[in-house]
Amino acid sequence: MPVEGLFNTTIDLLGKSVDLRTRNQNLISSNIANAETPGYTPKKLEFEQQLQSAVKKSSNRGMHSAGSSATTHPAHIPLRGGGAERISQVRGTVVETPAKTPGRDGNSVEMENEMSNMMQNQVLFNASVQLLAKKFEGLRTALREGK
Amino acid sequence: MDLFTAMNTSSSALTAERTRMNLISSNLANVNTTRTPEGGPYKRKDAVFMATPVSDGFGKALDGVAGKHLRQVAVSEIVEDKSPPRMQYDPSHPDADPQGYVAMPNVNVVEEMADMITATRVYEANVMTAQAAKNMALKTLEISK
Repeated sequence: MPVEGLFNTTIDLLGKSVDLRTRNQNLISSNIANAETPGYTPKKLEFEQQLQSAVKKSSNRGMHSAGSSATTHPAHIPLRGGGAERISQVRGTVVETPAKTPGRDGNSVEMENEMSNMMQNQVLFNASVQLLAKKFEGLRTALREGK
Repeated sequence: MDLFTAMNTSSSALTAERTRMNLISSNLANVNTTRTPEGGPYKRKDAVFMATPVSDGFGKALDGVAGKHLRQVAVSEIVEDKSPPRMQYDPSHPDADPQGYVAMPNVNVVEEMADMITATRVYEANVMTAQAAKNMALKTLEISK
């Protein structure tokens, strides 16, 4: 598919990252909203490993199938090679992150933790969005013949 | 599921904390009230919070693994403190019993002040969360700039 060459794996990866960070943000706000609810256990979405292995798998496949670009370094993101389906299948897993010392009402939300998680999530979300914007900007520059 | 879900979750907490704040100010306002429509002194009131699943109709099926774990917060009930009234010796008070003791509300001012601080802080935290979600949503508009 010619479109695959234009919008490569990096764009799929960044799009997925934005999607999963949105879901994580929803969980974090759910934790902060329930900071005073008895018996509530905070949760977060873990997907970094899954996303990384999805990228890796697609890069392995890229080396074997003819016509696609092979990666020459383990940290490289393959240009194409069927990675899109794998990446779009990543859903992450919800893990409970209770505080070591829950309150007497059984609530184990730690506000400091949640706030720092939220900040990290937000920064990484912004980074993905910015990279995505730059990717499209690069494409646009190419379409305008560098003008 | 989108970032508006995060904003709605935060706003559910804002409503719940506001209810709690109203109860705290009601408790503090009535710290010396000896007469109520129900009879007897005023009794301290407290809100019980409950985590409730996010109801999102159509979107629910598309939410996937993270969506099922989302919880908003709601005030499930408002309970009266069952602890005994504070007995204060004041024979000149019109509501004093034959021994001269007046049944005063079971409100502890220090406790209410501490509750007020937590309610304020949690409210602030949720305002922050809503702002973070808003900033993220606005940031996505930059993709098409």
